[in-house]
Amino acid sequence: MTQVLIEFVRALRASNINVSTAESLDAAATVDVIGFKDRGLLKESLSLVLAKSSEDKQRFSDCFDRYFFATDMKGIDVLGSDDPSADDSLDVGNIVTTTADVESASTSTLTSMVTNENRAELQIAVANAAREAGVANIRLFTQRGMYMRRILEILGIEALEDDIGNSDSVDRLKLSDLRVQLIAEVRDHVERQLLLYTANTWPDLREEILQRVPLSAVEVRDFKFMQGLVHKLAKRLVALHYRRKKIARRGHLDVRQTIRRNIEYDGLMFDTVWKRKKIDRPKVVAVCDVSGSVSNAARFLLLFLYSVTEVLPKVRAFAFSNQIAEITDLFQSASAEDAISDALHKYGWGSTDYGHALSDLEATVLDDIDHRTTVLIMGDGRSNYADPGVSHLRRIHERARRVLWLNPEPRAFWNSGDSEMRRLGSACDRVDSCRSIQDLERLVSEIMRTAV
Amino acid sequence: MSFNSDSDASRAAIEAIQGGLATTGYICGESIATAVFIAQALEKPVLIEGPPGVGKTELAKASAQFLDKPLIRLQCYEGLDEAKALYEWKYGKQLLYTQVLKEKLGDLMEGATSLQASMDRLHEFDDTFFNEEFLEPRPLLKTLWADQGAVLLIDEVDKSDQEFEAFLLELLQDYQISIPEIGTVRAKHSPVVFLTSNNTRELGDALKRRCIHLYIPFPDSRLEREIVESRVPELESSLRFQIVNFVQQLRTLDLKKVPAVSETIDWARTLVLMHAQELDQDLVRKTLNTLLKFQEDIGNIDTEINVMTRAAVDAR
Repeated sequence: MTQVLIEFVRALRASNINVSTAESLDAAATVDVIGFKDRGLLKESLSLVLAKSSEDKQRFSDCFDRYFFATDMKGIDVLGSDDPSADDSLDVGNIVTTTADVESASTSTLTSMVTNENRAELQIAVANAAREAGVANIRLFTQRGMYMRRILEILGIEALEDDIGNSDSVDRLKLSDLRVQLIAEVRDHVERQLLLYTANTWPDLREEILQRVPLSAVEVRDFKFMQGLVHKLAKRLVALHYRRKKIARRGHLDVRQTIRRNIEYDGLMFDTVWKRKKIDRPKVVAVCDVSGSVSNAARFLLLFLYSVTEVLPKVRAFAFSNQIAEITDLFQSASAEDAISDALHKYGWGSTDYGHALSDLEATVLDDIDHRTTVLIMGDGRSNYADPGVSHLRRIHERARRVLWLNPEPRAFWNSGDSEMRRLGSACDRVDSCRSIQDLERLVSEIMRTAV
Repeated sequence: MSFNSDSDASRAAIEAIQGGLATTGYICGESIATAVFIAQALEKPVLIEGPPGVGKTELAKASAQFLDKPLIRLQCYEGLDEAKALYEWKYGKQLLYTQVLKEKLGDLMEGATSLQASMDRLHEFDDTFFNEEFLEPRPLLKTLWADQGAVLLIDEVDKSDQEFEAFLLELLQDYQISIPEIGTVRAKHSPVVFLTSNNTRELGDALKRRCIHLYIPFPDSRLEREIVESRVPELESSLRFQIVNFVQQLRTLDLKKVPAVSETIDWARTLVLMHAQELDQDLVRKTLNTLLKFQEDIGNIDTEINVMTRAAVDAR
């Protein structure tokens, strides 16, 4: 029984559900209470103690169905009906002896098992043999053949083959048919296990690669996946830095203030004053270049912007190619995909005119900018040889707490051709190259760290 | 302990809980009752997540009523700290007492010649001002002190700071809390603890690990009809069928805020007040603001009201 749970937990971990040891113990306690008999109840209750978010619940449900697929339940019942209080080693012992029985009497057992066509019994035998063969350690699809062979050996396929050789022609035909069926059964089992224990290897790898790939090189088909990744990043950053802007010292008596306030009561202290600190709520004005020159990266910069507006309060978002447009409302009303394609469609693909855009920006937001505002500009700083509008940016810079510029081009390309990064950079607190999700995470994390 | 009876017994216990909650007016599916059952069996807190208005808070209230224990509620918000959640000294009272006892203090000090002697005398009375007399218990301490056990509801735990979340861990793990001035306070009876979250931020793994996690989704139409029936019994069954169908359709649309169960109930009450017999377009338009809370949403679905109303009326 314990063995079953341990393997199930391992399967859950393989499908990217983080199950801690404490939680597996909870699961064991739960099973003690409700037993293995009622499949629906078991699924419901294990899901309560093992899957701790709504996405996890979905994955749990899939994994559970794959692991405890309907016929296997009978097998667990058979296993489970040994004394449940028996400890782990005894449990394993039981399984091994069952298998040993199968092996010793193999000539008759396996042959009779396949000839009886008792499918449930056969599946239990396969499952036990698989457990002994250590199929839970399977990692690669190339290992399928090896594990199949091992399981078949443990089941005693040789004895069955001997039987086939010794029997007369009618039986032989029938037995070889059954042998093929048996092999198919084992193959199915191994396939299921492979699926179970390696379910998540591929997305993990993909995630890792996508984090490092330059933003401009990400393919459109990965967009959906990237969206999740960026959202995860934004949420993580906010959670990480949330604690920086909280009230620090509430619940402490401010003695000095209390004494002063109570002077009028002749020093009798009726009115108590508590120490408190103001919550710092930074405002962010984010501007994103969506012109033709950065069109590939723009999708993801916008995506990031979208995630930021979702998780941080008080973000005003703008997009521009030659004219600036506020997209805060668009972001709030539409889903990420719609909002981004809408913004790109409406404002994108033009040729950049930083001078015009920045003067527009100044006119729109300057009144709103104060010492708490962070201005975040994402663009390549290529102004098609027109005036980059440094003076406008400088006026914004004077008002704002900080102006940050993230450039999707590598540093070596700056100041070449029509890039005006040097001049624009002079009116910023910080200029950085931001090429991949990893860069984005690092930069924004730094920004937020120094924000308070 | 036989396996078969185990499952059957727990199944029966879960059905009993489901029935018990129903008598308090809380209609729920099996998964919710299972969560309450497991929570009691393992003595673990339940973390409830789900969209707003599906009855997360109500579950705690109904359980308290069903278990016949007092409900102690702690509403979380940004900046909530242990002084508001656990205990606080009654500073005002302490100060007032020192003032009132000033003369008395003078008497006590009489005869002490040196400063050291006065100090020593003062030390003898140190703890007079830090005992339970001057302790203001807040919800968490009240829960631990409750004689008959209690149901503790920590509402919207995601709104609180991370520090507070960490502070809760000791309570959730062992049902005890360490207070520097007094020592460790242990619960007299293990309380039943519910935490609710709207998932405005990701809760820490440590907190999640200590809880049973229950996700309450929007109910399906059959369950929602039962809920409306129990909450608004005076509504006719044909109309009930129609409004639930209408709301279920609404939930499939892209809205800023989809109507929750509480809004369905409000709508049902509104229709009862208006003596409505059957849904029709005008009626829906007039009362839609009980269901949708954003003018934008109301504007967006205006063109579809006709079709949706007809579908709701025709559906059988």
